[in-house]
Amino acid sequence: MAQSKRYGFVIDVARCIDCRACLVACSVENDVPMDNTRIWVHDLGIKGTFPDLTRSFLPYNCMHCDNPPCTEVCVSGATYKDPDHGLILLDQEACIGCGFCVDACPYNARYLDNERGVVDKCNACVQRLDVGMQPACVATCVGGSRLFGDFNDPDSDVSIALKNARSIQRFDLEYKEGVFTGPNIYYINGDVLQSGMGPRMPQYTLAEQGWKKALVPLMAAAVGGAFMVQATYFTKQLIEGEKEFDE
Amino acid sequence: MTQPVVSRRDFLKIGGAAAGAVAASAGMLHAPVAQAVVSANLLDPDGDGYISTMCEMCVWRCGVRAKVKNGRVVKLEGNPEHSHSKGKLCARGQSGLMTTYDPDRVLHPLVRVGQRGEGKFRQASWEEALDIVASQMLRIKEQFGPEAMVFSSTHNLSQVQFENVLNGFGSPNYGTQRSLCFNAMVTAFLLTYGIEEPARNYDTVKYILYVGRNMAEAISTSETSAMVAALARGAKLVYLDPRFTKTASLASEWIPIRPGTDLAFLLGMIHEIVTYELGDCEFVKQYVVGCDELPAAMAEYTPEWAESKCGVPADTIRRIAREFAAAKTDALAHPGWRTSNFINSFQTERAIATLNAISGNALVPGGCLIADSPEASGVSLGKPPQPAYPRVSALRLDGVPWKYPLVPLKLGVFQEIREAIITGQPYQARGWFISRQNPVLSIPDRKRTLEAMGKLDFIAVVDVIMNDTAWFADVVLPEASYLERYDPLHVVDGRIFLRQPVIEPQGEARSALWIYKQLGERLGLGDFFQYTDEEDYLRQQLAPLGLDLELLKTRGYLDPHIEVEEPTEIRFNTPSGKIEIYSETLGNAGFSPWPTWEEPATPTPDRFYLLTGKVAQHTQMGTQNNQLLHKYSDKPRIWLHPSAAEPRGVLTNDMVRVRSDVGEVVVQVLVTEAIRSDCVYLTPGYGHLSKGLRTAYNNGASDSELHVTYTDPVSGGQALTQTFVTVEKA
Repeated sequence: MAQSKRYGFVIDVARCIDCRACLVACSVENDVPMDNTRIWVHDLGIKGTFPDLTRSFLPYNCMHCDNPPCTEVCVSGATYKDPDHGLILLDQEACIGCGFCVDACPYNARYLDNERGVVDKCNACVQRLDVGMQPACVATCVGGSRLFGDFNDPDSDVSIALKNARSIQRFDLEYKEGVFTGPNIYYINGDVLQSGMGPRMPQYTLAEQGWKKALVPLMAAAVGGAFMVQATYFTKQLIEGEKEFDE
Repeated sequence: MTQPVVSRRDFLKIGGAAAGAVAASAGMLHAPVAQAVVSANLLDPDGDGYISTMCEMCVWRCGVRAKVKNGRVVKLEGNPEHSHSKGKLCARGQSGLMTTYDPDRVLHPLVRVGQRGEGKFRQASWEEALDIVASQMLRIKEQFGPEAMVFSSTHNLSQVQFENVLNGFGSPNYGTQRSLCFNAMVTAFLLTYGIEEPARNYDTVKYILYVGRNMAEAISTSETSAMVAALARGAKLVYLDPRFTKTASLASEWIPIRPGTDLAFLLGMIHEIVTYELGDCEFVKQYVVGCDELPAAMAEYTPEWAESKCGVPADTIRRIAREFAAAKTDALAHPGWRTSNFINSFQTERAIATLNAISGNALVPGGCLIADSPEASGVSLGKPPQPAYPRVSALRLDGVPWKYPLVPLKLGVFQEIREAIITGQPYQARGWFISRQNPVLSIPDRKRTLEAMGKLDFIAVVDVIMNDTAWFADVVLPEASYLERYDPLHVVDGRIFLRQPVIEPQGEARSALWIYKQLGERLGLGDFFQYTDEEDYLRQQLAPLGLDLELLKTRGYLDPHIEVEEPTEIRFNTPSGKIEIYSETLGNAGFSPWPTWEEPATPTPDRFYLLTGKVAQHTQMGTQNNQLLHKYSDKPRIWLHPSAAEPRGVLTNDMVRVRSDVGEVVVQVLVTEAIRSDCVYLTPGYGHLSKGLRTAYNNGASDSELHVTYTDPVSGGQALTQTFVTVEKA
C-alpha cells in the first residue's frame, strides 16, 4: 500500500550556524529529560591550519527510514512506520524499554529514558503537524537550515529545496543484502558523507535468524512478570501511601 | 557535567508548587491573567492556548507566542507578526520558560542577615522590604544629599519608571551597561549621522563587511536569519576577527586581523576608494560634509601603510576596497554592537561610518544602511502626567561631561562610577540601587567592584534570580519574570507591541511598574507614578491613539496606521543636516575632526590579548543558570593556539592559570587552530560567585576578574581587549 504522504526533512548544511535553537525547542516541546536529547547538531570540527580553516555542522535526528531496522526488532510493537505518512513513531505506553531498537538504529537516533523506562526519539513533532504547525526544530531554525514537509507534494518546502539544491546526499545504508535503510533526511549544499557521522550496521542482541520465534514468548512472559511487579508495588503504595521517590 | 541539574521531575514539582502559590498571592493584576484572551477564544475554557507577548532573553525583543496549559507556560514560539522574530526564536528565546521556572528564582523579598556576600537572608514582606529601602535612601539623602545614591540599570522597557525614581530622587548618578558595550559605536554614529544606531537592510545586500560583528553567535534573530539568507543567495561576506568564530566559518573571506588594528585596515580602504574616486562621488558629496577634503585627510593611510600596521597585505586591502565600492549602495559596513575593544574603537567606528557614507548606502531608498530616526514612524504614545524633575547641581560621578565632554548623558561611563565610589572623589557615594544588572560580573576588575560595594552603607537589588550582585546586596526585591508581568509598550517598525503576563507571577514576584510605584510613593515621589496599576498605565499610553488595550492583549500588537509624510529632502540630525565625516563638534572638543589612526596598546611577547565575545546560547552574564541553556552550551574554556600551548606543555582540557594586571583565574583549556597565536579567548559571563545560582555557581572562570579598566576619553567606552594576560599550566 502506497503512503499518501512521504514526510521527511531537508537540511541545508550551508545554512546551519550551530546556534542550537532547534535543540532547545525540541527539548521543551517534547519534554526531553535534562540529560538526554532527541536531536543533535554535530560539530564536524575545525579543519585545516590557521588561517586556512573550514568548519561545518551537521543537524541530525531520526532519519524516518523507508526500511527501518529499528521497527523490525521491536518486541512489543510500540515502534512502527506510520502507514499514512511514513514517519517512524513510538507509542511509549506500549514500549517496554528493552532497548533493542536503540541498538538496531544505524544512526544512533534513539535513547533509552532510564527514568521512565521507555525509549524516546524524534517523532517530527506529530502533535504539531496535526494542528498545521511545523516540527519545533524547523519552525525556529534561525538559519533556515532545517526544512520539513511531504516529498510527494511538489510544492512543499522540501520538494522545492531538493529541486534547487546544488548537491544532495543521504546517509543510506545497505544493512541486509539488497535492503537499504532509505533515510528521509536529505542533506543539501554540502558534503556530509566524509563527516564520519555516517551509519553503522544495526546491532542485534540475539542472532538475527529466527530470534523472534524464541524471544517473543520470552518477552511476553517478561512483560507479564513486570506487570506483576508493578501491580504488587501499586497495591503496596495503596496500603502504605506514596513516598517521595527522589529523596 | 558535574553541575547540579534539576531532574524533569523536580522541574514539574516546582511548576506545581508555583501554581499553588497563585491562589495565595495577593492580586497584583486586577484582571485575571489573559482574561481578554479567553474572551477572544484564544484560550479554551480550561485556559489552554496561545498568548502573544515579548521576549526578554536579550535586548532584541522578539515577538513571542506563549503556549499555556493548565496555568503553566509549556512552549514559546516566535511571533510571525513581529519583524524581529518573524516566527523564530533563538536558543535563548526558546529557553525562556526555564528562566521563569528556574528553581533558583527569588520569589520573596529578602533582607540580609549575615555578612555581605555570606548569602544569609531572611524572607520579608513587601511592606517591610520597601520600607527598609525607602528609609535607607531617604537617610542617605538627608545626611549626604541625593547625589550620594547611585542608581544603575541595564536598558529595559520599564526604564522610564526606573528613571523617574532616580531623577525624582534627584541623583545625577546613573549607571547603565552602555559604556561596557556600545559607547564607541553609538557616539561615533551620533556624531557622524545624528542617530544612535542605524538599522541594516539585507534585502539587496551584495557585499557585507563585518568588523568583529559575530552575527552567527551574537544573535539578533531576524538579522542573523537575514545574513544567512543573503549569503545563500550569493552575497559576499568579509569578516575581520582575530578568532575563527562561527561567523568566520560562513564568511567568503576571513581576515584574522591583529586586535586593535582593524582601524588601519578600514583607513586603508577609505584611502583607496577616495583617492581613485571609486564611488559615486558627485552624488554623495551633496549629503556628506568633508567629501572634498577627504582624499587629503586620508593621504597618509595608503594600503601599504595599513599593511605595516595590521599585517594584512596591501593588495588584499586594495581589492576589498574596490569590491566594496563596486557594490555601491548594496554594500554594508556593519556598525557593530559591543564595540568596547580598544581606546581606538571610537575611531574604528568613525571609519566604518565613513565607509558607509561614501558608498551612499544611507542616501537611497532600499540602501543597506537605514539612518532614519526611530521617531520617523510617527507613533507617539501617551504617558501619565508628572511634574518636572528637581534641579540637580551635583557633578556626575562618571565624569560626564566635566571629564568626558562628548559622551552622551544617557550613555554615561559606568566603570568611572565604581572608581569614584572607591576614591570618594569628587564626593563619597553611600548607597546603590541596582535593577536588572550584575555589575559584579559586568564591570572590569571584579575585585575592585567588590571593594567598592564594601564602601557603601546600603545596596538594594531588583532581579528575578540571585545574581552575583544580589548575593552582595542588603535587600533583594523579586521582580516578576518577563512571562509573568506587564511592561510599558514597545513600538517596532510603526507597530505597537505588548509584553503581558502569560502566567500569574510565582511567589510574591512583582512587575517593575508596581515595584517602582510602591518605592516612589514611599520616597514622596507619588506624582511621578500616576497610574493605579499596570493596565491603567498601558491604557494611558494608548489613549492619544484611541486604541483599545483589550484588543492589544488578544493580538499582542496593534497597527496605529499613522500617515507619515515622505520627507522631501535627505536630512540628518547633525549640526549641518548632513553626514559629518568631518566633525566640527569633535574638532571643537579638542579631538581630531577626521577619522584618525590611534596606535593601540600591544602586549609584551610573554603576554596574550584577552579576547571576549558571545556564544549563541547565552546573554551576557544573566543566563548561565538557565538549565536548558546550560544543557546545550559548550563547556566554558580558554582558547589557545597550538603554537602557544605546545611550549607550555598544555593540552586540551588541562587547567591553566591566567593572570592579568588585576586578577587571576584557573580555567580549562581548548587548544585550537581557530585563534591567532598572540590571542586567547575566554567565554564571557561565567565564573559566578553567588551560591544562590546552583547551576552557574563556580562554573568556568570570570572574565571580569581579569579585565583591566581602560576608558576611551571620547566615547567613554571601556577597552576590554586591552587586557593582556599570561598563561601557564596550573
